[in-house]
Amino acid sequence: MSELLEQIATCIERGKVNAASPYPPDMRGQEGADELVKKAIEQGVPAGDILSQAMIVGMGRIGKKFSNNEVFVPDVLMAAKAMQAGMNHLRPFFDSGEAVHKGTFIIGTVQGDLHDIGKNLVAMVMEGGGFKVIDLGVDVSAEKFAQAVKDNPGASVGLSALLTTTMVNMEKTVKLLKEQAPDTKVVVGGAPLTQEFANKIGADAYSPDPQGALDYLTAAVS
Amino acid sequence: MAMTGIERIGNILQRKPVDRIGLYEHFWGDTCRKWTDEGHLREGESLEDHFGFDLSECGAFNMVADLDFTPEVVEETEETQLIRDGNGALLRRHKLHDATPEHVDFTVRERTVWEEFAKPRLVADRRRINFEAYRAARDAARAHERFFFWAGVNVFELMSYLCGHEYMLMGMAVDPDWIKDMVSTYSRLNVDLMEILFAEEGAPEGVWFYDDLGFKQRPFISPDMYREIIQPGHKRTFDYAKSRGLPVVLHSCGFVAPLIPGMLEAGIDGLQVIEVKAGMDLLQLHKDFGDRLSFIGGTDVRVLYSNDRDRIEAELCGKIPVVKEGYGYVLHTDHSVPDQVEYASYRYFVDRGLELGQY
Repeated sequence: MSELLEQIATCIERGKVNAASPYPPDMRGQEGADELVKKAIEQGVPAGDILSQAMIVGMGRIGKKFSNNEVFVPDVLMAAKAMQAGMNHLRPFFDSGEAVHKGTFIIGTVQGDLHDIGKNLVAMVMEGGGFKVIDLGVDVSAEKFAQAVKDNPGASVGLSALLTTTMVNMEKTVKLLKEQAPDTKVVVGGAPLTQEFANKIGADAYSPDPQGALDYLTAAVS
Repeated sequence: MAMTGIERIGNILQRKPVDRIGLYEHFWGDTCRKWTDEGHLREGESLEDHFGFDLSECGAFNMVADLDFTPEVVEETEETQLIRDGNGALLRRHKLHDATPEHVDFTVRERTVWEEFAKPRLVADRRRINFEAYRAARDAARAHERFFFWAGVNVFELMSYLCGHEYMLMGMAVDPDWIKDMVSTYSRLNVDLMEILFAEEGAPEGVWFYDDLGFKQRPFISPDMYREIIQPGHKRTFDYAKSRGLPVVLHSCGFVAPLIPGMLEAGIDGLQVIEVKAGMDLLQLHKDFGDRLSFIGGTDVRVLYSNDRDRIEAELCGKIPVVKEGYGYVLHTDHSVPDQVEYASYRYFVDRGLELGQY
């Protein structure tokens, strides 16, 4: 049993989506996350175990390697794709309550800013880390973030900005979220941001990479 | 006697003695409008003329796949437009201020569509070249004795316009030969178009490529992947410039320090923009590569928009006396100057920076 879970974790860490995928070259022809998660379910492994003991483990490994500059964006994208392939089999178990998310994470790029790749990477790693992710997209107003929190009580929020010109909208968003729901955890990130700026605008945390956001919120919700 | 911009930048890119460091800058469009509205610039006055920049550049190529496609607005709000372009890409652009567009969707996501839709169209065609713009920009530069760069976009960024970062980067993992084919096609097209333009209008003083390869604190791809997939395209375009005796400057946003050895192998003479907020450290780069590479940028624009003269002074005094050593530096911020920067702050940055940059 644990061997199968380890195989799933490895497939996600290495970005092995399914048997047909030629990536990574040294796993060509082998089963991927798609087939192995299906197999685990068929063997009766609880969905929660597949999630927490295999998939989150695999995503966690790649996230840490990314933080340490041991791997690069293509590796994380492929890991997220493998994670998605496995998650497709687990979705019914989330609906039935057999598998549960760590929490809900609302993410978006602040108003005026249309950049999305950094935000997308954070969303992928958060989902891979066991959170239900609500991606509001780009150019998101403070009011839209606030409404999403109202609709999802207890959710955490991630705000992304790439432009120095839109950082000011981040401050406005944090202010509104904290006025409306003071306990909401808000994590900020993006190229021009610093810990100093995060402190100044009243965000709960700043992370320069996706894994930092996941680690912070995992600790915060546990 | 003071050197001209042509002499100064020519020497800086070879790290030969000059009278002072060079001067150049990029601005968000909103900044020029604001400073003009405030009366600091005359209506229609260029920032190059106003501040006396040493160089200018002109982008003259249209590298979109389907030249016959008229971009169509698919959706419009008060602030944004969703546009499908000739690459088959769906991009959301902000109407109220300058920004990189959101990548919404792409037609080219894998090899087959690339081979059927894009590749056959990416061939040299005179309609891709804006001869008049190039001629006018070159003449203006010559009139002010500025070093004139032809400017274009190189392979990584061109591919991201066609299929987006995510499909491109996953393609590098899953089907590297497809990405190598795109690199080869785009680099050949750039060279073919440069040959036509330079033969007809005359060569510039230098070649400037935009290719954003960096992310915050890391490049998008590993140095090995750069060498295997992107470097051949860089080398082909840089080799062409070198065959004409033209120096090459490469612009990249983000943290690209680990890629610099590979970029030097490909043939760059200068690196711009040295983005501090992404983790680039101008002083360390100067120490590590200053004997082989010139730098344009690397002063923290966040310091400028603090509009705090003491902080600007500290930023300049901490960097200029060091990086001017070796003659390979052009004063420039680490990206573009936004409209939060007051005119007086930028004016001080230029005046004090050049004062410190005298030899």
